[in-house]
Amino acid sequence: MFKSNNVTARIFQRQICTPAPGTSIYSARRFYENIVPSCTIYDVECPDHSFRKFTEDGLYLISFSRNHQDLIVYRPRWPSFSCKEEDCDTHELPPKAKKFEGFFTELYSVSLATSGELICKDFFLYMENNQFGLFATSTAQIHDAPAVGGAVQGVPCVEKITFHLLRMEDGVVLDERVFWSDYVNLAHSMGVFLYDDLLAIVSLRYQRIHILQIRDSGNLVDVRTIGEFCREDDELFLYSSVQSMANPDKSKQLHQMTVNHAANGLHHDRPAGETSFLSGIKQRLLSFIYQGIWNEETDQTLRMQCLKKKFYFHFQDYVDLIIWKVQFLDRHHLLIKFGSVDGGVSRNADNHPAFFAVYNMETTEITAFYQNSTDELYLLFELFCDHFHVSGKNSLYMNFISTHSNNIHNLEQLKSNKNKASSLSQFVKKMLSSLPFSCQSQSPSPYFDQSLFRYDEKLISATDRHRQSTDHPIKFISRRQPNILKFKIKPGPEAGNTDTRSKKISSFLFHPFLPLALSVQQTLFLQPAVVNIHFRR
Amino acid sequence: MGSMLGDWPSFDPMNFSQLRPSDPSSPSRMTPVTYCPTHDRCQPPPNQVIASESRNILLRNMYKRTEDKLRSKRPASEILITDQGLKHPRTSTAESPF
Repeated sequence: MFKSNNVTARIFQRQICTPAPGTSIYSARRFYENIVPSCTIYDVECPDHSFRKFTEDGLYLISFSRNHQDLIVYRPRWPSFSCKEEDCDTHELPPKAKKFEGFFTELYSVSLATSGELICKDFFLYMENNQFGLFATSTAQIHDAPAVGGAVQGVPCVEKITFHLLRMEDGVVLDERVFWSDYVNLAHSMGVFLYDDLLAIVSLRYQRIHILQIRDSGNLVDVRTIGEFCREDDELFLYSSVQSMANPDKSKQLHQMTVNHAANGLHHDRPAGETSFLSGIKQRLLSFIYQGIWNEETDQTLRMQCLKKKFYFHFQDYVDLIIWKVQFLDRHHLLIKFGSVDGGVSRNADNHPAFFAVYNMETTEITAFYQNSTDELYLLFELFCDHFHVSGKNSLYMNFISTHSNNIHNLEQLKSNKNKASSLSQFVKKMLSSLPFSCQSQSPSPYFDQSLFRYDEKLISATDRHRQSTDHPIKFISRRQPNILKFKIKPGPEAGNTDTRSKKISSFLFHPFLPLALSVQQTLFLQPAVVNIHFRR
Repeated sequence: MGSMLGDWPSFDPMNFSQLRPSDPSSPSRMTPVTYCPTHDRCQPPPNQVIASESRNILLRNMYKRTEDKLRSKRPASEILITDQGLKHPRTSTAESPF
């Protein structure tokens, strides 16, 4: 669209040319080639907090205190200072402008964790249209907890996990949801998925998916719980059938038990081992698999052989599958990843078999079922990756993150990795291991747009993870003007690190639309982090 | 959704009332809501209403694959290739007048 690389010429051209239909955001983004965060303030003096991320609308910077008890929220702003002399551009920034407070104003500090609890500083979800933030606090993990009340053996237990919903404007806690003696994978928000106003929380320990709705008033409302039961009235139906059983004593006993549990206020009130029913979702899954295998053959004998080989032989393995992770595909469909118990809690689940199922919450049917090495699912992933990265309809910037389905450079990289892979099924497994995606885990900053800039993905990328730090600056090279370096991001002190022995990790926080970024370099020991501010002067 | 130019004075009060932004991210670019056929082999049915499919393409594909599997015993890879080769007449596709 733009003929020249000069920013003034581009502005003039923008006045008279309309972009092609549907490309107005991409055309506007080209201006980011001209406005880059090339100036760095090294080792800025800032409060010793763990800076987590910028919210997707760029209004807040979330950070947690070092003792994991408090939340501190800043508002990003631009430094302003005046220079009395004529040629100001060549001057160094005045010392007042080089401070952290010049870029960020503290809005408030809220104590979220009570004694015995710690804030999970890897967990933060933001609801853009209402400016609500979701945080989590938890008590310490109990290993080798006994599997009571329907819990899965082998999954750790946390005595109390609390989700706090805050109004980000003023830090008021609007609602809380507590999970007792449960386990939700809070690291990098993996066990929770936010889509629009729907929240899916996976209780690994009790194998339930809690669907909650965040109302505009700030209340967390239960919508449904998928696991033992699929439909809202399944539980009622089951208990009413149990109570009308032939043996009056037994039904009285069970009735007494349900009354006791109801009095305790527990939701999971069926004692373990009392019933031999598989959970609702497991039944749906097994019947779907059975039907699929049944329909493969028309001949009755071949059909039975097929079933024996593919279904009954693996029956116990299918029954032992547990839900690992969940994401929304739209308001009614969930993508659920199933696997073995060992894989669910280990950090590296690559060697464990995994399966994906698409579940329709309204009809309570399984729509599709794939193993993690199937080409079919990989083909869908390659073609329609954007539809796995669901973002709410209100979130503008999150829809423009570069993926291999919307960006030719990502696709070329993917294809070259595929050709270089020694085994296609290993490659497919590796690609599919990123599914289901964790929500809000990628930065919408245009500086990560692969059509604008080329950068080393091992050192920095849109995904907010800690990376190994290097002393060399990370280069962002223009795509359209090959080999022209646009800007560099260098974490750590300006002169480099004197101590080369200790391992350092860096994390990068990019503002969603301003040319402003923070790089935080820390060692693995409790030394204060080195924070640099990268901005456009 | 109200039209941005719907209330401006004009010679004919019905002018501009049918305009809608064709691209939600740039609301100043308006196109008429009617769609014209790009060929004259057949006329479009009268009073046809074109709306976008509520289910996204990924879920549509998954449902279609499952339905095909439950209906027939064709292997999955064959279904994939056939899908991409065939052109289905869909009422949910909007044809641009330009």
